[in-house]
Amino acid sequence: MLTFLARRLGAGILLLLVISLLTFVLLSIPHADVGRALLGQSAPQAAVDAKNASLGLDRSVLAQYGDWLSHAVRGDLGRSWFTGEDVWSALGTRLPVTLSLVVGVTLVTAVLSLLLGVWAAVRGGLVDRCVQVLSVVGYALPGFLVTLVVVLVFAVRLGWFPAIGYIPFTQSVSGWLSTITLPVAALSVGAVAGVAQQVRGSVLDVLQRDFVRTLRARGLPPGRVLFRHVVRNASAPALTVLGLQFVGLLGGAVLVEQIFGLPGIGSMTVQYTTRGDVPVIMGLVMVSVAGVVVVNLLVDVLVGVLNPKARVA
Amino acid sequence: MKTTRILAALAAAGVAASLAACSGAGGGTAGQAAQHSDTLAVGTMTVAQSLDPTQASGSALPYYQAVYDTLILRKADGTFAPMLATAWTYDATSTKLSLTLRSGVTFSDGTAFDATAVKKNLEAFAKGGGGSATQLASLKTVKVTDPTHVVVELKQPDPALLFSLSDAAGLMASPAKIGSKDLATNPDGTGPYTLDTGKTAIGSKYVYARKADYWGDKAPYTTLSISSFDNENAIVNGLKTGQLNTAVLQTVDQQIAAEADTKLTQQKFEFDFQGILLFDRVGAVNKALADPRVRQAINDGIDRDALLQGLRQGRGTATSQIWGTDTPGYDKALDDAYPYDPDKAKQLLADAGYADGFTLTLPAMAGITTDAMTSALTTQLAKVGITLKWDQLDGATALQKIFRDRAYAGMVMNLGQSSNAWNLVQTAILPGTFNPFGYTDDTVKSLSAKLLTDDESATATDAGALNKHVVEDAWFAPFYRMTYTLVTDPTVTATTQSGMAVPSIYDYQPAS
Repeated sequence: MLTFLARRLGAGILLLLVISLLTFVLLSIPHADVGRALLGQSAPQAAVDAKNASLGLDRSVLAQYGDWLSHAVRGDLGRSWFTGEDVWSALGTRLPVTLSLVVGVTLVTAVLSLLLGVWAAVRGGLVDRCVQVLSVVGYALPGFLVTLVVVLVFAVRLGWFPAIGYIPFTQSVSGWLSTITLPVAALSVGAVAGVAQQVRGSVLDVLQRDFVRTLRARGLPPGRVLFRHVVRNASAPALTVLGLQFVGLLGGAVLVEQIFGLPGIGSMTVQYTTRGDVPVIMGLVMVSVAGVVVVNLLVDVLVGVLNPKARVA
Repeated sequence: MKTTRILAALAAAGVAASLAACSGAGGGTAGQAAQHSDTLAVGTMTVAQSLDPTQASGSALPYYQAVYDTLILRKADGTFAPMLATAWTYDATSTKLSLTLRSGVTFSDGTAFDATAVKKNLEAFAKGGGGSATQLASLKTVKVTDPTHVVVELKQPDPALLFSLSDAAGLMASPAKIGSKDLATNPDGTGPYTLDTGKTAIGSKYVYARKADYWGDKAPYTTLSISSFDNENAIVNGLKTGQLNTAVLQTVDQQIAAEADTKLTQQKFEFDFQGILLFDRVGAVNKALADPRVRQAINDGIDRDALLQGLRQGRGTATSQIWGTDTPGYDKALDDAYPYDPDKAKQLLADAGYADGFTLTLPAMAGITTDAMTSALTTQLAKVGITLKWDQLDGATALQKIFRDRAYAGMVMNLGQSSNAWNLVQTAILPGTFNPFGYTDDTVKSLSAKLLTDDESATATDAGALNKHVVEDAWFAPFYRMTYTLVTDPTVTATTQSGMAVPSIYDYQPAS
């Protein structure tokens, strides 16, 4: 297990290196005129050229990358070209917002899809069909539409929740809860629909296995068969899908963050990429990649814990 | 059966939890409403960059105004009043501006505001390489006479200097912090507020706390927040739920959405015009545009009323001039200088030797041109024989091709209409960014030279003559001035700021 973890960690670091280089090269291709974006459309061209030179943009891409990397390995991600803010501090204010969303949605999805999936698989009949139809509808509805409707109904019309903005957990717990409830709900619709189907399928699959029949024949209570054996066996594929959802949500959060005006890393990515703020984008990419590596590792470990057959030496 | 009961219990717990969440949120909303009278929440589409004043630009001014005072105050009607400078006089040559400074004012870090601070700020701004650094392009030197007197010496007269000192160039930062990177996120001025860094998310929400020992009238709000958004939909939702108290809306759809809410008050105003800048008047990229008759034909061939109706549901004023209603020299008659006349356009083209028409390639840029706009213009000009071709480009590439490579003969643009004539002349008429081919003529040269030293009434006359000349010579093909709305909720009254897209922070007052 330890060698496995070490190997995965090593692969993760290599991945970070490769992706950082790729991102840097890709960012340099469109030649986004950073100086022009910084100084505005009416600035004289000479001033724009001077600004670009002062940012080191007149050097080769590799020289710029080497410069960035040598600072990055020492933990210095630089400062935003636009706001002058330290990249770590920028990430520090934005990351908790997106993490609140993503973790919230993952928890809601895990609980609800487990309930719905197991319920549909065990009860079958009308319940199953209802869950299936709801899943298809939930999955098919475009995320932005769900989000817009959710805002309109629960924030603008009913006034139960704020329509925009984010209150940090550290400032007020109830405020935090009120600001993330609607975004989490909006994002959860599609996620629950997808994972519930997966749970239902796996549970049905396991229910038909021989060992389940044997357990039942030995007279074990149905609840124990279901939760100790069936769900445990069925959870590996569901966990994998959940892990993928988590990663996908980092991207899916963009829209929800824009509609709710949340200062998360999704809206940040869009904003800073269009402006070509390289230090911030690199910081964002590194943090996202690290997040993906960690989540995948966690999923592997969890699957191993739940299912000994999946463990590696 | 046991399973069912467990599931039912879990489901019930889930419902209870979500109900609890709802009631908690309700309490939160009520709490926010109670704070309204002493809190002002402004929503905007403008993103603040660095809060270092050397990087300030006019469109993001409110972010700076909260922390920094300017030397001169520009009131809502565009007139000047004392702020950190209490009096100012020009010498006979209009190249020396003497300023008398307010005494007893300190920056947040305790440094005294004095003549040396002014000198340091103005010199840092001129050399700072910021987006508005050209405001002080004519600065020669700043001479300190005594702690409360400075003389700003210019290389040549600058009719926009007082405006600039009430704008980005006039923002005064603590001289102890000038040049430090810290100023970008930790501003230090003499302004009515200080930045509450704990509650601020740089780049998205700026929260300012009232300064207890401000030298001037106490600010009307204990807390001021400015939040930036990338879509007006979120702003309108914020206005409707009372999370934002005021914002300026530019898009027609969102203006209509806000009007549906009867609690919100709307004030209409015009600031930007939209139109084609026909800057290749030398014929470098497109030979045809060198002939004024061709440029006039483009103006005659555009049905402005149809564009205004089709693109902005009539929200604006069709116009043929780039001067705004607040710009000295504005002439209402010039709004109709080119009534839609395709026959006249064809005749002009034939006279210029383009009876068979010609092709004009323009950049289509996200954020400025829309598909509806490009297709409407293409159809209208096709009727007079002009074939419009659009190069689809992303914003950054387009600006580079336009300004650096000078690859296009013109572009569709939204340009602000300053309340200062010289600003507009410098931006759009004289060789520079929006005159990249450097075209000029004798009338423009002599009138702009006169403008340098004109007094107020002469400015109106000469700027008016210049306006008339560039309209008749068809330097541009403006479509319309766009109507924006300043939306306020019942807790606040606001005044639109002359020659600016958004109000200054001084333009808001709690509603009584």
